[in-house]
Amino acid sequence: MIPIEESAYDMLKQYVESLRRFFANEEGRDEIINDIEGRIAELFGESLKKGSTCITDEEVNKIIESMGRPEDFEGEEGKVHSQLGGDDKQEQGSSAYESAGAPPRGRLFRDESDKILGGVCGGLANYLRVDPTIVRLVFALISFGAGTGILLYILLWVILPSKSLQHTSSTKRLYRNPEEKVIAGVASGIASYFNIAVWIPRLIFAFPLVIGIITSIFKSAFWFDVDPFPGIVFGSFGGTLFVVYAVLWAVIPEAKSASEKLEMRGEKVDLNTIKNTIQEDLEGFKTRAEKWGGEFKDKAQQFGQEFGQTVGQKGQQFGSEAGSAIKRGGSRIGRAIGILFKAFFLFIAGIIAFALLVALLAMIVAGVGVFPLKNFFLEGFWQSFLAWSTLLLFLGVPVVAFITWVIRRIMGVKSGNRYLGFTFGGLWFIGLVCGGLLAASIARDFDARARDKQDYTIVQPASGKLIVNVPDAKVKVYGRWFKMDGILNISDDSLFLNNVRLRIVKSNDSLFHISSYKYSNGADEVSALHNVKEINYGINQQDSLIYLDRGFSLLRGTKFRNQSVTVNLQVPVGKRIVIKEAVSRRLNSFHISTGRNDWDFDEDWNNDYGWSSDVEYIMTVGGLERVNKNDTIENNDDGENSAVEKYKKSKEELQKEYDKKQKEAEDLKKELDKPVDSTKYHYQKTVSYSQAPHAPKAPEAARAIAAEEVSASSEASRIIFMQMVL
Amino acid sequence: MDIQNTQSQMRKGVLEFCILSIIRQGEVYPSDLVERMKSANLHILEGTLYPLLTRLKNAGLLTYRWVESNSGPPRKYFVMTEKGLTFYGELERTWQELADAVHALTQPQADQSSEETQPQP
Repeated sequence: MIPIEESAYDMLKQYVESLRRFFANEEGRDEIINDIEGRIAELFGESLKKGSTCITDEEVNKIIESMGRPEDFEGEEGKVHSQLGGDDKQEQGSSAYESAGAPPRGRLFRDESDKILGGVCGGLANYLRVDPTIVRLVFALISFGAGTGILLYILLWVILPSKSLQHTSSTKRLYRNPEEKVIAGVASGIASYFNIAVWIPRLIFAFPLVIGIITSIFKSAFWFDVDPFPGIVFGSFGGTLFVVYAVLWAVIPEAKSASEKLEMRGEKVDLNTIKNTIQEDLEGFKTRAEKWGGEFKDKAQQFGQEFGQTVGQKGQQFGSEAGSAIKRGGSRIGRAIGILFKAFFLFIAGIIAFALLVALLAMIVAGVGVFPLKNFFLEGFWQSFLAWSTLLLFLGVPVVAFITWVIRRIMGVKSGNRYLGFTFGGLWFIGLVCGGLLAASIARDFDARARDKQDYTIVQPASGKLIVNVPDAKVKVYGRWFKMDGILNISDDSLFLNNVRLRIVKSNDSLFHISSYKYSNGADEVSALHNVKEINYGINQQDSLIYLDRGFSLLRGTKFRNQSVTVNLQVPVGKRIVIKEAVSRRLNSFHISTGRNDWDFDEDWNNDYGWSSDVEYIMTVGGLERVNKNDTIENNDDGENSAVEKYKKSKEELQKEYDKKQKEAEDLKKELDKPVDSTKYHYQKTVSYSQAPHAPKAPEAARAIAAEEVSASSEASRIIFMQMVL
Repeated sequence: MDIQNTQSQMRKGVLEFCILSIIRQGEVYPSDLVERMKSANLHILEGTLYPLLTRLKNAGLLTYRWVESNSGPPRKYFVMTEKGLTFYGELERTWQELADAVHALTQPQADQSSEETQPQP
C-alpha cells in the first residue's frame, strides 16, 4: 500500500515498539497504538499525495518528532496520570536503583524490566548475554532435579540488586511463533531460532507419536490387542517429549510484537558470539577483580557495622518485593496453570482423536481380516456392496482425512480449500448410510430362530460314573481371534464356532442320556431350520469317557446366523459324573448354573456357583452333590465358593462338618497350649483365629440353611448348568 | 530545581482542561486539536495527546465516531459526553478559583474589580 524504505520501515517499527513498551501498563494500550499508527499512516498518505514516491528515513524522523518519542513525554505522563487519579502501574518499588542510570557492564543485577519472579534469570541472561529463556530453562531443570534451583534463586534474589537493564536487541531470542502454529507455536519458534525448516522440529515432536501409531496398527493387526495408548502416550520417549513441549510452552514467551518477531528471527547466535562474549568478560574480569578487591576491604569493615541493619533492610525490601512478586507471580502461575490445563485438554483431546484413529485403523485392518469371514455373514451382491462401502467410506475416509490433516499441518499448508472437507464429509456420510443399511439388512437375516433336538445313543458305563472331557480342537488355534461370541477360527472354506454349552440335569429313569439342542437364526422359520440342520456336532464315547466336540464347523455357503449348541446330559439318581479339568481349562469362562427344569435354558444361565473340575459329583434326589466332602476343604479355598457350597449342603452334612470343625478347633487349641517357638506360634495363632469363629456359628447357620433347603428342594429337582464357552 | 521540569509541570496541569475546552466547542480531530493548541502557543506532542484522549474516553468524558477519510485510514472524531460537560464545568470552576488566587497573589496591588475577566487559553 505505502512504499517505504527498508531502513525507514525498521525505524518506524522500532518507534512503534518503543511506544508499545512505554504504554505497556496502560489500559487502552492497543487503542492508543492503533490511533497513533492510524495517524502515521495518514501522514504518510499526505506525503505521498504531495508527490514523494517513497517514504524515507527523513520523513519518518519528521513524523516521529511531531508525535514525540517516549523519552519526550516520559515526565509528563506520570504527572498527567496521577492528576487523572489513575493508578500508577509503573514499577515504583525499586526506583532508587533504576534512577542510577545505565548499568555498568559486567556487573550482575537482577533485571527489573525482564522478569517473571525476581528478575534473577533475566539478569543472569543479560550478564551472560544469552537468551533469558535458556537461563530460565536451566533453572527450571535444576529446580525440578534437586530443588537446589529454588534455593539458589531465592539466594540470588536476596543478594543481587535490581536494576532495569537495557537490552541489546542484536541477540536472537527464542520465542513461540504465533503465526505458524499447530498447538502453541513451540516447534516453529524453535525452527526460526535455529534457522531450519518448520517441519523438522515438528517431526521430532511428532515422531514418537507416528512411530506409536504405526506400531499400534501392526500390533492390533497381528495380535488384536487394541490397547496401544499407554505404550505410546505414556511410553518413555513420547511422554518425555510431550512434557518437554509443555514446559517449553510455559517457559518460552510468545512473539507478540513486531520487534519480538524480529528478535525471534534475528541474528544467528553462533559459537563466535558466545566466545567473544566470554572473552570480553574475562578481560574485564581482571580489572574488576582488582577493583572489587579494594572494594571488598572497605566493605568488609563496613560490613561488620552494617550487617544487622542491612539484613533488616534487605529483609524488608525482599519482603515487599516478594509480595509484589507473589502478586505478579500469582498471575504468572495462573497463566502457567492455564497453559497446563490447555495442554492437558489438548492432550486428552489428542488421545481421544488418536484413539479414534487407531480404532478406525484397527477396524479397517480387522475388516480386511474379516474378509474371509464375510462370506459367512453376507448374502448376495447388495450386502457385499454395502459392506465394502461401509468399510471404505465410513471407516477409511476419516483415517485418510486425519492423515491428510496431519501432513498438511506438519508441512504448514494453510488450507483455503473447503471442498476437501465437504468431499470427506459427504463420502463419510454415504459410508454411514451404507453401514446403517447393511446393519438393517443383516439384522433381518437374524429375525427368526429355530431349534432341533438330536439324541445320541450311549453305552451305560459299568462303573456308574461318566467322565466328560473336551479333546483338543481339530483346528489349531493361534492367537486370539475375535472375541465375537463363539467364533473360534476361520479358514477360507469353513467357520469354526464354539458356541457350545453343557447342561447337566437329573435323568427321569435310571440311565444316562445325552442329547444336543441346536439353535440357529434365519430370515424366516424355514431358513432358520435349514441352518439348524447344517450344524454338525459330534459326541463320542469311550467306555465311561464322553468326548464333546469343541465346536462345530459351518461350511462355505452356510451363513453365520448365531448358531449354537446346548448339550443336555441327564444323570440318573445315584450315578456319578466327573467334569474333566480340560473342559474348564479351554473355556473362557466356566459356569454352572441352577435353573428351573423347563427348557428355556437358552437365556437362563444365571447364578453360577462353585463347581470344581476333576471332582466326582453324585446325582441325588436334591441335585448334584460332591461325593467326597474332603474335597471341599482342599479345593474350595476361596471364601465365596465355600459359602455357596455350604448353602447346597443338607443338614446332616453341615452337622458332620460342624463336628469335624469342632474337632479341628479342639486340636488347634491343644496345640496352642503347647510351648512353641515364636515363628511357629505366629503361624498357629493365625490359623486358630481363622478357624475358631466357625465353630460357634455353625449350628445357627446349619439350622437356617436347612430350613431353606427344605423349601428349595421340594420346589423342583435341582438342575446344574455348565456353560461351555470355548 | 529543574526549571524546565517545573515549567512543563505547570503546563501539564492545565493541558487536560484546555483539551476539554476545545472539544466542548465541537467535534474535533486530534491533529486539528494539536494545531489549534499550537496556534494558541501551547505545544503538545501527538504521542502525548492520544493516550490522554483514550483515557478521557475510557473515563466516559468523551466519545468518538469514525469518519471516512480520503487520505488514509478512517479518522476518529472526538465529542464530549454529558458526563464530560459536568466534568468540564468542575474544572472550569477550579480554574477560575485558581486563576483568581494566582492573580491575587502575584499582583497583590492590582485592582480587585477586574476579577471577573480572566483569560481563556
